[in-house]
Amino acid sequence: MKTRSEASMIRAVSFLFLAALALLSGAALAHHGWGSYDAAKPVTVVGPIVTSKFENPHATIMVRGADKVWTVTLAPTSRMSSRGASEKVIAVGNNVSAYGYPSTVEKDEMRAERITVDGKTYEMR
Amino acid sequence: MTDQAPAIFIALEESGFAAAIRQSLWLYPAANVGHIVALVCFAGAVAVIDVRLLGGLAATAPGRLIARARWFAIAALIGMAVTGFMLFSAEASHVALNPVFQLKVALIGAGLVNVALYEFGAKSAVADLPPGAAMPARARIVGAVSLLIWVAVAACGRSIAYF
Repeated sequence: MKTRSEASMIRAVSFLFLAALALLSGAALAHHGWGSYDAAKPVTVVGPIVTSKFENPHATIMVRGADKVWTVTLAPTSRMSSRGASEKVIAVGNNVSAYGYPSTVEKDEMRAERITVDGKTYEMR
Repeated sequence: MTDQAPAIFIALEESGFAAAIRQSLWLYPAANVGHIVALVCFAGAVAVIDVRLLGGLAATAPGRLIARARWFAIAALIGMAVTGFMLFSAEASHVALNPVFQLKVALIGAGLVNVALYEFGAKSAVADLPPGAAMPARARIVGAVSLLIWVAVAACGRSIAYF
């Protein structure tokens, strides 16, 4: 049998966990991992890849676009591989077209929704 | 890599250890999964301890229950520290400057201070209590503060990626 203090304690603990859950789901809704990128201003960067890192947590390439050199954040390496976007596909020197959203935090950085190399398109999300 | 971070974090990110974590297909995701599994174990053990301090689970003597749960908490905390250090190393210069990460580290420090407060301020009043006995106020306070701190640490941890 539960004592009164035990029942009120369980209520308090339940409340704490629900509050934490609400906080976490609120953060998730607000951001989705793409939160610091401005989806209202999509950009397409076309040019040669000047540096390439096939690394976790995200592969990144630098692309010499028409206006400036962009840092393009791609996907985790396991997802890159399973979509066929291997290390060779994003090798330095290859020409790439990256469609994505500019960062609201980092200057000249964008996160790619998809990239096209050699006529083949790879989804990053 | 950002060169705005203190040199020690830049050196850590540029170390062979951190490069190996980034360049492996499975190390980073494995550390990620391991961190969450350790978190689940830690949260469970801490919840048992804190609920007992608050007066719940009263059928077992508090000294006995807390001593058992503590080993799970310590082992899980070590697991979190190891996997957390791996995740941190891979992006040390950026993460060190992340305000939510800094808050998380401060909260972990507060959580460990709270453990010390229990050890030196409340443990002696709790250790020999029989099952069902009322818990002293300071034990309840330590338990409630612990729950709040560790839930906040978890929320901060999940939020690092979004800031």
